[in-house]
Amino acid sequence: MRSEACYEWRESLGAYALGQLPREERAGLEAHLDGCPDCRAELELLAPVARLLPKADPERLGAAPAPPAALSDRVIAAIAADRRATRRRKLRLGLAFSGATAAIAAAVLAIFVLPVGDSGPPATRVSFESLPPKMKVGAKLEPREFGTEIHIYVKGAPAGALCRVFVVAEDGSRLSAGSFRYRWSDDYPTLTTALKLSRTEAIGLRVGNRTFLAPVRASST
Amino acid sequence: MPPGALTHEQDVREAYAAHATELYGFAMRSLADSGLAEEAVQETFLRAWRAGDRFDPQIGSLRTWLFAILRNVVIDLGRARSARPRVAEGGIEPSVEPLDEALLAWQVEEALRRISDEHRRVLVETFYRGRPYAEVARELGVPEGTVKSRVYYGLRALRVALEEIGYEI
Repeated sequence: MRSEACYEWRESLGAYALGQLPREERAGLEAHLDGCPDCRAELELLAPVARLLPKADPERLGAAPAPPAALSDRVIAAIAADRRATRRRKLRLGLAFSGATAAIAAAVLAIFVLPVGDSGPPATRVSFESLPPKMKVGAKLEPREFGTEIHIYVKGAPAGALCRVFVVAEDGSRLSAGSFRYRWSDDYPTLTTALKLSRTEAIGLRVGNRTFLAPVRASST
Repeated sequence: MPPGALTHEQDVREAYAAHATELYGFAMRSLADSGLAEEAVQETFLRAWRAGDRFDPQIGSLRTWLFAILRNVVIDLGRARSARPRVAEGGIEPSVEPLDEALLAWQVEEALRRISDEHRRVLVETFYRGRPYAEVARELGVPEGTVKSRVYYGLRALRVALEEIGYEI
C-alpha cells in the first residue's frame, strides 16, 4: 500500500539493503515492510544489487583501458583474410569434386564456381627479379578498404629466416606490411598494410640482411 | 539468415565500435597483458564473424554473445600462456581469479563506472570504505539524509546499469 509513510521509508531501503541502517531505524523500517508490499517489492529490487557490490574491486573503478586505435583495422583485416580463405577453400572443394566426377560436371561447376573467385576487386601480381639463384618471390596485392592485403610467395629462403615485408608509397616513404618466418615453399602468408594499392609504388622483402624490391603497377592483373 | 546476423564486414565494424572497448576492458582485467588482451579481442571478433549467421538477436543481445565468445577465448589464451614459460609484463603477476568471478567482478565494476559520480562516490565511501554517513555528509557538505538518499538512488541506478550491460538480476 503506497502511503506518505512509504516516501519516508523508501530512501532508507538502500542503507538497509547494504546493512548500514542503524539499529533504531531498522526496527521501524522492518515494521513498515511487514505491512507494505510496495516497499517489500522495492527492497527485492535492491537486495540483489547490494549482494553484488562485494564482487567489485573499488580500486578498479577508474577509467577503463581503451584498445589501441590500430586494433580496429587489424580486426577488419583478419576478417577480410578469413573470408577470402573460406572462398578459396570452397573453390578448391568445388573443383576437386568436379574432377572426381564426369568432365561435363566439371565444366558446369566451373561456370558457376569460377566467377565467384573473380568477383573480388582487381588484384595486382608482382614478381621479384634479381634474386639469388634458387630463390623465388612473388606477391599478389589486393586493394581493400583498410589499405592493401598482400599474399606473398617465397621459395628457397633459408628455413626459419625472418622475412620482413614493406611497401613503398609514391612519395618514397616506407610502411611496414608485417613479418613472417619462412618455413617451406608452399606457405603463403597473408599480410596487410594501411597503404592503398593505388598509392603503392613498390613492395620490398627483407630476408636476413638482404633486401629485394619489386615495382608495383596497380591495375595490371 | 536472421536479421542482425554478423555476416557483413560493416556489421563487424558496427559491433566493434559498440563493444570493443568493453571487451578489451574485460580482457585486460583477466589477462593483465595488453598484447594478449588485443589478441583476445581480435580472436573474439574473428570467431563471431565465422559463426555470424548463427547469431540470433531474438535469443540474446550481441553484447552478451560477444562476451560469451570472449570468455572462451580468454580461457584458451590462459591455457596457452600457462603452457609456455611465463614472462610477466612489468613484473605484474597476471590475475589468478577464476574467470567467471572475474567476469562478474568486471560487470559490477563496469556498472559502477556507468552511474553518476555522486552516486558512485557515496557507495564507495560508505560501502567499500565503511565510513559513517555523518562523516561522508560533512565531507561532501550535504545533510546526512542526502547521503542516505544517494545510496538508495545509487543502488537503483546500479541495477539499471547492470541490466544495460546484460547482467540478468
